[in-house]
Amino acid sequence: MEGDRVIRTVCPRNCYCTCGMLVTVREGRIVSIEGDPLNPATDGGVCLKGLSYVERISSPDRILTPLRRRLDGEGFDQIGWEEALDGITAGLKELRERHGPQAALFYEGSGNHGALSSLAEVFWNQYGGPTRAHGDLCWPAGLEASRLTYGDNLHNHPVLTRESRFILLWGHNPAETNVHQMRLILDARQQGASLAVIDPRSTDTTDAADIHLQPRPGTDGALALGIAAILEAEGLIDRSFLESTAVGVDPYLERARAFTPGRVAEITGVGVDEIRALAIRYGETRPALLIAGFGLQRHHQAGQTMRAVALLPALTGNIGVRGGGWQYANLASHGLRPPPLPPVPDRETRSFPTSRLGAALLELDDPPVRGAWFEKANPVSQHPRTDRVREALSRLDLLVVVDQFLTDTARMAHYVLPAKTLFEEEDLVTAYWHPYLQLRQKVLDPPGEVRPETEIWRDLCGRFGFDTHWFDGDRRELLRAMLPEGEGNLLERMESEPVVLKGTGEVAWSNRTFPTRSGKIEFRSEEAAELWGVDPLPSWEPLDEGSASTAAELWPLQLLTCKTRERIHSQFGNLDWIRGVDRPRRLDINPADARSRGLADGDRAVVWNDRGRVVIEVHLDHGLREGVVHVIEGRCREDDPWLNLLTDDGITDMNHGATFYECLVEVGRV
Amino acid sequence: MSRAGFILDLDRCVGCGACVLACRMEKGWSDETPWRRIVPFNLDRVPGGPTWHFSVACHHCEDPACLRACPSGAYERRADGIVVLDGERCLGCRYCEMACPFGAPVFDERSGIMMKCDFCHERVDNGHSPACIAACPVGALIRLTDEDLEATSPASIPGFIDPAGCRPSLRFREPGGNLREKRLEQLRKVLEQ
Repeated sequence: MEGDRVIRTVCPRNCYCTCGMLVTVREGRIVSIEGDPLNPATDGGVCLKGLSYVERISSPDRILTPLRRRLDGEGFDQIGWEEALDGITAGLKELRERHGPQAALFYEGSGNHGALSSLAEVFWNQYGGPTRAHGDLCWPAGLEASRLTYGDNLHNHPVLTRESRFILLWGHNPAETNVHQMRLILDARQQGASLAVIDPRSTDTTDAADIHLQPRPGTDGALALGIAAILEAEGLIDRSFLESTAVGVDPYLERARAFTPGRVAEITGVGVDEIRALAIRYGETRPALLIAGFGLQRHHQAGQTMRAVALLPALTGNIGVRGGGWQYANLASHGLRPPPLPPVPDRETRSFPTSRLGAALLELDDPPVRGAWFEKANPVSQHPRTDRVREALSRLDLLVVVDQFLTDTARMAHYVLPAKTLFEEEDLVTAYWHPYLQLRQKVLDPPGEVRPETEIWRDLCGRFGFDTHWFDGDRRELLRAMLPEGEGNLLERMESEPVVLKGTGEVAWSNRTFPTRSGKIEFRSEEAAELWGVDPLPSWEPLDEGSASTAAELWPLQLLTCKTRERIHSQFGNLDWIRGVDRPRRLDINPADARSRGLADGDRAVVWNDRGRVVIEVHLDHGLREGVVHVIEGRCREDDPWLNLLTDDGITDMNHGATFYECLVEVGRV
Repeated sequence: MSRAGFILDLDRCVGCGACVLACRMEKGWSDETPWRRIVPFNLDRVPGGPTWHFSVACHHCEDPACLRACPSGAYERRADGIVVLDGERCLGCRYCEMACPFGAPVFDERSGIMMKCDFCHERVDNGHSPACIAACPVGALIRLTDEDLEATSPASIPGFIDPAGCRPSLRFREPGGNLREKRLEQLRKVLEQ
């Protein structure tokens, strides 16, 4: 309509797609959102979550003023910024004076990506350096495995998926978690490509597959080594490619030969013929694209598993090839420089692996952690060992949570500060699937009393008498300074289109230069052994808490808690628009497993292990592998189950990831 | 101009719900009055049958039962085939709701009249696609073409019936791949049993 403004911005959720969006503003309100046709990867699309921002931004549940917990502990009072920041300042000062700066935890999640987030360090560096968490809950083991193998995390431009003849998805469900990739896969399929999926579940992705293998969770490393052995036996290894580009191939193949088809079938629970058929079709068809999701690296052996899988495209000569490749993460847009910051305090940073949050806060001493600040994060819902997280947070003298909604974590806070949405501050947003860097243009002023986090940090710095000049000057110039040298002019282009940084090719590794230690693809990695204490060759051992472990005698079912299209973890499920298409959190269980436990569809069942118990409705899922149960993760409604009471706070073999899918349970009637 | 209507590619639709939200965004309906919804088939993945997501709204029939049943002349079928409902003329008698075998018209308690997918005719008149089609991220929901209209009928999906003889402008496209044939074969076998 006349008077409408259309502004290009970008969805900053922690999600593959990172969609460019065209937002229409009418009379100060966002009335519609469409995908940006200039982003070829998302091709004019957004997903249902992107569309739901129209509701989300003006949701009546949104927090618009600072809140302070009432003295009786029940509920919150709305207060002004002065009162809130005075109280927080007094609390943080007291912590530091009595116990030192490490008595405070600063924790930043990934709920709302943007380069300006790092300005929080202006405060914390001057505070003296708080306790921190390192690693992350999602994907770090796979990132490190990929880096150790190829030297970096890059992959072909997503649109080249269309040129593939054989697509192998491993532990990945793009129909739900990367819907624009699914479109490209369906396009390739329509042009005759075959699709194979490895997933213990049946999903909307496996529905489209020609081949679907359903191994036991945690056996993917054995499966990958077994496939390598079959490729060798069938003469499907690209020796001429490997000769000049790889090191350690022979010891790797010797290792793989120990994984005979019979042994792998026994480990994985997948038939010899099925494994052989997949290996041969993958090896024979070119170009073949292998896309690994995050699902197969949520256990203790994540890194070694991912190394074994990541090497298959190299073994078959599918690296540096249009329509082929190894696809896990594409960090081509991650070349930003940090903004100027005050110096890091001259002392060792105290830090713990993020999955250990609850335990670490309970155990850390000298000084104990007495205060915590969480932004863009909801650990009470999303971290493993909810029992420990809750206990740890309830013991704090000061808990500050910055969020848009009253999440499970915010409900425990002493102070809740209202967070901006993506529309309310300009920022730069990187991606990890397509190569584009995008400008998150500001669309609206923050509503109510909402202030961007950068303003909160500036204000706090002032109250502490810290240097605030880091926040001064034009914000856009600050963003420009974060672009790689000589590329500052990209900023204006980004108002209307996504951009790629220099040196970003359409086909990853087409120059066959690999920034590993040896300069080649590393089948054998001394660096892996040195950094992480693992076997220099990819290896596989049964999981400590897997189907073949002694714990399985007590808790014989492997619990998977997978992601869904309607939510990003604990976000979006509170909206009416999403509720209209959301699915209930039910326990998916194979009918045979249900029958042997006297459970029928719709029954209430209790799911338990030695860490916790959850009561949940049973859903018979004929497509799920026997011995595996599944519930969609992400708690954001009162009636969603507390699944992370069941999951363990283990740490992956590499890079400090979490072990959500190494979780045995038993299920029974209530 | 080709006749207004939808093609749903059942092999592409993953039931993501973007079409439903786009419709809601465009038209502002509430939980109680959905203009578009997704009807899943075999989400339990019972062996032998395919799993499908039917994203459905008004089918903009050639001989609409709603129009036939309406006593106040509130319905009109435009030259391009879009079946529109004139809220000014609607009495709220709900005869159309009873007549439509596909559940397209919904009664809005607040206004006391019926509501229904209007194929975003204002958008269409301005050269755009309906909001649902524009938002579909996988290219599963597309605009009807004359070839598809001629070549097939909705009844090509076993179980899809047209009890009132409305001749819906809805088609399920035959994709280039081999998947749909495989699934149809599975489904025919299940239905025969």
